[in-house]
Amino acid sequence: MKIAREPGPKFAAIKGYLVPWGCLAPALAFLALFTFWPLVSTLKLSFYQWNMVSPTPKWVGLTNYLEILRSREFWLAFWHTLEYTLILLALNLALPYITAYILSHLVFKGQNFYRALIFLPSVLSLAVAAVIFLWLYNPLAGPVNALLRLLGLPAPPWLSSYRWVIPALAVITAWKSFGYNFIVLLAGLVAVPLELIEAARLEKASNWQIFWRIVRPLTSGTALYVLVMTVIIGSQYVFVPIQMLTNGGPDQASTNLVFFIYQYTFNFFQTGKAAAAAVITLIIFGGLLFLQKRVLEKGVYYEN
Amino acid sequence: MFLNWRRGVIASVLIGTLAGSLLTGCGTGNKASGSGSAGNGGKVTTIEYWHVNSENFGGQTVRDLVQKFNEQHPDIKVVEKFQPNMYLGLMQNLQAALAGGHPPAVAQIGYNYLDYATANLPHLPVEDAAKTDPEGQAFLNNYLPNILNLGRVNGKLEGVPYSISNPVLYYNADMFKAAGLDPQNPPKTWAEVRDMARIIKEKTGNYGLYVQEPSDNWAQQAMMESNGAQVLTRTGGKARATFDSPEAIEAYQLMADMVLKDKTALHATWEEGTQAFITGKVGMYVTTIARRNYIETSSKFKVLTAPFPTFGNKPRRVPAGGNALFIFAKDPDQQKAAWEFIKYLESPEALTTWTKGTGYLPPRQDVTDDPRYLKPFMEQNPLMKPAVAQLPDAVPWVSFPGNNGLQAEQVLLDARDAILGGRQPAAEVLKEAAAKVNKLIGN
Repeated sequence: MKIAREPGPKFAAIKGYLVPWGCLAPALAFLALFTFWPLVSTLKLSFYQWNMVSPTPKWVGLTNYLEILRSREFWLAFWHTLEYTLILLALNLALPYITAYILSHLVFKGQNFYRALIFLPSVLSLAVAAVIFLWLYNPLAGPVNALLRLLGLPAPPWLSSYRWVIPALAVITAWKSFGYNFIVLLAGLVAVPLELIEAARLEKASNWQIFWRIVRPLTSGTALYVLVMTVIIGSQYVFVPIQMLTNGGPDQASTNLVFFIYQYTFNFFQTGKAAAAAVITLIIFGGLLFLQKRVLEKGVYYEN
Repeated sequence: MFLNWRRGVIASVLIGTLAGSLLTGCGTGNKASGSGSAGNGGKVTTIEYWHVNSENFGGQTVRDLVQKFNEQHPDIKVVEKFQPNMYLGLMQNLQAALAGGHPPAVAQIGYNYLDYATANLPHLPVEDAAKTDPEGQAFLNNYLPNILNLGRVNGKLEGVPYSISNPVLYYNADMFKAAGLDPQNPPKTWAEVRDMARIIKEKTGNYGLYVQEPSDNWAQQAMMESNGAQVLTRTGGKARATFDSPEAIEAYQLMADMVLKDKTALHATWEEGTQAFITGKVGMYVTTIARRNYIETSSKFKVLTAPFPTFGNKPRRVPAGGNALFIFAKDPDQQKAAWEFIKYLESPEALTTWTKGTGYLPPRQDVTDDPRYLKPFMEQNPLMKPAVAQLPDAVPWVSFPGNNGLQAEQVLLDARDAILGGRQPAAEVLKEAAAKVNKLIGN
């Protein structure tokens, strides 16, 4: 079938471009202004030395990259980012996944009550959550340690201990984002056709088998979304409790890549090095996204 | 050499000011309400004042002073803003505010950032601000020349010295008694501190000691330098980090041993440590005299103070803490208002309120000696006496030169966590940290 070409081919060709691009323009303008322009500026800044107040940034070539890659702190931040991510994957993907399964297919009484209860913390701001946990974690007077002492367990100084500071901060972030991920996964889970599950029940499949062999594959699209969000956004969310409670301490034991960039910008005012670290971080996460597209997407089921 | 010269100057200054001199007493009568506050056509100039005084560190006193100033000056409105993380946090937020083009008009700059602020941040040196005021010179004449040196960098008066402090040993007299120790005989040396901390732990189950751990290394500098070390050595205009000397390591290792081996000292944040002391969970607490009012009024037991302990017979060396007031306003009206506000904060009435509400020693001798102002208070409050007595032992608070001063300070904070957190012995951590700081300050 042919589309009518009324005022001549040339005009139509222009019109053919004009409408879609015209529709895209507002979005593209904002994207260019708030995403791509800062990206290019960051790239440019990473070759300079500048403290944000001096009128003349100094060109230093690749020095920033070399010094960042050679510093102990950057690699600490790198490994800590992985550590945070692994904990968050357990607390913000695996745990809400299973909870959502239980609350959608196994427990039917009081479902709405539980759902509301679990979602509640995600309406709080992370900064407020951090302050609440500061009090909970207080080594001498906090309720967490009071409880542990009551049970005769060791009561570590959560936020100044090398071993515990990362789990302690990850728990704050997890507590806050658990509810949101739970709701998203729940939405995916209730879409699983009940006939499939009933059929499996008739064949005496266990709850775990139903989850692992039917529900999980059928909700893999949702799960992938939560996975990517946890990996990418998780390290940014963790930043809030780090900045508010520990400043990366003790001795950089709780820093991550996002905090490292912040620290070099707004604590040390070495924006060139911060920009270099940001570019390296971008490359790392870009690599992860590429991997996700190439590897994970293949095993994912989408309803449509 | 340079350091020794500066130390000599500061020592003589502080003795001069606070232990009594005659001349300045006649008081040039600088009234805060100042000239020119009327007849501005009803225009109100709003300025910001940044300070480090949290709720339990004189925050209320800052608000009282600002309120009083605003009442007396209908044409100026001062808005006070608290900055967390002490002078380090204030510097960081200040630099960001300058980059954003909205700096506060007046800010407290810790003496440990004088070099950094002067070299890196655009400001109006108070020397220049004073020149625009016909009363300016008369106002500056209220200070002994050597006190003003605390606000000078390379000879130029960049900020007006406002608060002066030094570290003292607070102790819980009731807990001393409960442990069988004599409250009239507080420890004089660190060896005695260690013994008494052990006794307190054994007899009462409480921690013996907490040495303040805010976002600066002031108290740690006092320990290292009292043991004969130098945190920073300046020779021929060049500065080198020398806090990895055997004396520095020994002082730090003593602290680490008390925390990790004896388990008689607490390693915690400043807030946690202060809370622990005032709730009676720690027997001795080394912190600034500037917190005297808060500790005195919040503790339910009898608090006493003693001079900063020494290492055997070695001379005591306590860094002069506190801050100078800097002007960062760019607009001429705001600069004028800022200068007016500084003159108010440094007036005899305001300084009297300030010392009573915090514990800071006043920078003006005439205020200390005047029976209408601080004289009766200084004579009566026994907690202030050790701080006044050890003024001759004052040394400059280390101020790292160059553009990387903020990161150099962070390296020392990380080192403190590493040593007291037990990652590595003091010797290794300090060697590593000194090498890093030397790289940062250009060696």
